[in-house]
Amino acid sequence: MNSVRRVDVWTWAMVLGFAVIAVLLVWPLWSIVAASFIDNRTGVFTLNNYVSVMTRPLYQTALINSLIVSLGGMAGALALGVPLAILTTRYQIVGRDLIGTLSVLALVSPPFIGAYAWIMMLGQNGWMRHGLAAIGIELPSIYGFFGILLVFSLKFFPFVYLMTASSLNTINASVEEAAEGLGAGTIRRLFTVTLPLVLPALSSAALLVFVLSLADFGTPSIVGGRVRVLATTAYNLFTNEMGGNPGLASTTSMVLIVISLVVVALQRWAVRRRNVSGSLLRRPQPRVLKPFASVMAHLVCYAIVLAASLPSLVVVYTSLRKTSGPVFQPGFGIESYTRVMHEVPHVIANSFSYSTVSVMMIVILGTLIGYVLARRDSPLAGTLDSALMIPYIVPGVVMGVGFVVTFNVKPLEITGTATILVLMLMIRRLPYSVRSSASILKQIKGSIEEAAISLGASPAQAFLKVTLPLMLPGIIAGALMSFITAINELSSSLILYVGRTMTMPVRIYLSVLDGEFGTAAALSTILLVTSGAAVYAVFRVTGRKESAFV
Amino acid sequence: MARVDLRHIEKGYPGLKALDDVDLVIESGEFFTLLGPSGCGKTTLLRTIAGFIQHDSGEVLVAGERIDQMPAHKRNMGMVYQDYAIFPHLSVADNVAFGLKTRGRPKPEIAERVQRALELVQLGNHGKRLPHELSGGQQQRVALARAMVISPQILLMDEPLSNLDAKLRVELREDIRDLQRSLAITTIYVTHDQEEALAISDRICVMQSGRVHQVASPQKIYAEPATLFVASFIGAMNIMPVGSQEGALAAADLPERLRARGPMTLAIRPEDVIVGQSTNGNALAVEGAVEKVTFAGREAYAHVRCANGLHLQAHLYRPSAGQLALVGESVRLRLPLDRLHAFDAADGKRVELPA
Ligand SMILES: Nc1ncnc2c1ncn2[C@@H]1O[C@H](COP(=O)(O)OP(=O)(O)O)[C@@H](O)[C@H]1O
Ligand SMILES: [Mg+2]
Repeated sequence: MNSVRRVDVWTWAMVLGFAVIAVLLVWPLWSIVAASFIDNRTGVFTLNNYVSVMTRPLYQTALINSLIVSLGGMAGALALGVPLAILTTRYQIVGRDLIGTLSVLALVSPPFIGAYAWIMMLGQNGWMRHGLAAIGIELPSIYGFFGILLVFSLKFFPFVYLMTASSLNTINASVEEAAEGLGAGTIRRLFTVTLPLVLPALSSAALLVFVLSLADFGTPSIVGGRVRVLATTAYNLFTNEMGGNPGLASTTSMVLIVISLVVVALQRWAVRRRNVSGSLLRRPQPRVLKPFASVMAHLVCYAIVLAASLPSLVVVYTSLRKTSGPVFQPGFGIESYTRVMHEVPHVIANSFSYSTVSVMMIVILGTLIGYVLARRDSPLAGTLDSALMIPYIVPGVVMGVGFVVTFNVKPLEITGTATILVLMLMIRRLPYSVRSSASILKQIKGSIEEAAISLGASPAQAFLKVTLPLMLPGIIAGALMSFITAINELSSSLILYVGRTMTMPVRIYLSVLDGEFGTAAALSTILLVTSGAAVYAVFRVTGRKESAFV
Repeated sequence: MARVDLRHIEKGYPGLKALDDVDLVIESGEFFTLLGPSGCGKTTLLRTIAGFIQHDSGEVLVAGERIDQMPAHKRNMGMVYQDYAIFPHLSVADNVAFGLKTRGRPKPEIAERVQRALELVQLGNHGKRLPHELSGGQQQRVALARAMVISPQILLMDEPLSNLDAKLRVELREDIRDLQRSLAITTIYVTHDQEEALAISDRICVMQSGRVHQVASPQKIYAEPATLFVASFIGAMNIMPVGSQEGALAAADLPERLRARGPMTLAIRPEDVIVGQSTNGNALAVEGAVEKVTFAGREAYAHVRCANGLHLQAHLYRPSAGQLALVGESVRLRLPLDRLHAFDAADGKRVELPA
């Protein structure tokens, strides 16, 4: 309402945004909803799929397992992330930057890499299992809940750590000092003052971890063993050799969506009640611990981030072991790399080109739509904003299923093409980019752009000459993060790929299932190094802000 | 430079009228101020003229031509904002050059005009600096130069001094005034600060809730407020309802000819209230007790509580020690009849008292 009601470049940006979202989000989602109510053979309306999912033990077990791993992953991430956040923000810990960086690296490395690295360490022949057994510690089998929860906890704790730490850093030092002055000891202060104040950030992080654990497909399918969760069940139903069961796959997907929806609604509600914090007058100062306590604190912090980094180290190490075919030999060599370069060069090329193209689309669309959302508060913009919530709550497997059932008929028959993979990568990440553009824009005063217009620049010129240059660091950081998620995307690609359009994560997944750990490690190392380089670039652009990653 | 005609401008937001039949003429070369409390619609009116808000009805004319349908970037108006709105990624000189570049002026001309504009705002040797290296006052000078260098038809300023500290505010406001005089640009200036408005304007338009209360010179607005709202908003004013209620002036105290006028509210400025004995016989007399005396250096204010809870302030110029020690004493106040303002109790409009 606060702008002139003329048609300008932003009207078209809004139209474009609606078109993209309608075709790539709403339509596939609608296809899933429709398919869940349709009988596969007769094509008529039915509730049988839902009856099956509710009553058959297979699905009930998957539902319960999904809830167990999501809650467990959340609990594990909290158990690691909260102590780390408190120790690093309230006490003198040497190498805090290193801890932050390792956490970010753990965050950006794909979970399926963690899963198979832990198999190498804790599987039947794993060195760590043998080492621990030698000192009398017997661990349960890595396959099953133990493996899934281990991977989830170590993969997702950085969300809790980074979000909680940044919230802890915005509590005025005087608040905790006042509590201390009133006689509250360390523990009491923590539970009565500090934690309640960071509860909004903490609960957001916890619910985020829940949703991510629920949606994760790679981890349970690699280390799950006989533990089937909803995501793996939907995938299996869909890709079953016997032609699959799109109706039941869609219904299982619907269950996933509904659970995520409830949890995300809960998260939004939790964040909405966040009280407006006053201005930060004095940052809390980390205290010096007594020697013994200090040693313990350092041990805890470094144990956590090292455990989280271990999979990456193992993967890099494995990729450099000497191999002959799939069999490891003593000593080091680069056979694994020469093999992937020889056998699957197109897979590497695919990953980089698909990610690059999708990121370019994300940047352009995300900036335009983000602009519309931030600068125009029309009801239409609100609708756009809500529609963009969809990818947050729809797991990759489900989006993959939606794409296949939607885009296999003319005029949009693109299944089996590179286009469908690129579009999928694009739409999965677009909302994050829109949000970040919008929030960058909200920090750029509207008057700056108006000033440019009053000086004779058209709205488009004002955007290009004034707003865009100011947004650029944020856009670049966002693009790099989109690139990281795009190049590491497994679940939806696994559903959409054909031989020609295979990507690195898909290849790694298939290699792991075939026991080809050498080539999997070489490809994983390429992914890790690429992600690490992107993280470094983000640090350069944002001036070392770990919170940029959550 | 151009005359601006605003004809019956209306602008509504859901549940509120931001501009209610605003009808004004701003003369060519005039320094015209929109004054009113926060939320009264000043910014809305200014941005309507600039073309950033589309009004619901009414006409905006500049130099006799309707511009309602002209996009903002074609209107040739310079705009200065409260938050400076300096382009943070451009140097001072590039900020000032921005408007000339969009107009495609030749390079040497741009360089020359930018330098001249910067000199006008006393930043002649700051062209190469980046905005964050400047103080708030300097940034606002850059914004001023940037708006004036394009020789705008109209200069629009939205509370340009509100973010500056008090001393700088007075300094820069004098500079703005002098510049505007020397360049004779039609200027529409928004402020909520009545003192600033009085000091700087050729004419002031006092607004409240989207409506215009009075348009007149600063002297006239101060001396003859057109409504009770203007009287209470501009300068200090003792407001005295007439009646028997708490805090009112008893009707019986008034001379017959005032009582005859019907229900109204009287008002008088503290500097017109005389404390103690006076030879002026043509005045209302009220008795009261001094509650406190607020000392402000050259002057002081005596707060007096009169019968029936009526509360009056009297201005004491160069207060003597005796005057400052008046607290607790009862005093006699005289309100000269020719200094009283009267407003209709129903619509708040000024009523001329019979001499
Ligand atoms: N975009 C908008 N939507 C709804 N109400 C608005 C909008 N912009 C301004 N208003 C309302 O219009 C009134 C006038 O606002 P404004 O012109 O900014 O006041 P001022 O500049 O005098 O402080 C205020 O009550 C304000 O809340
Ligand atoms: Mg305003």
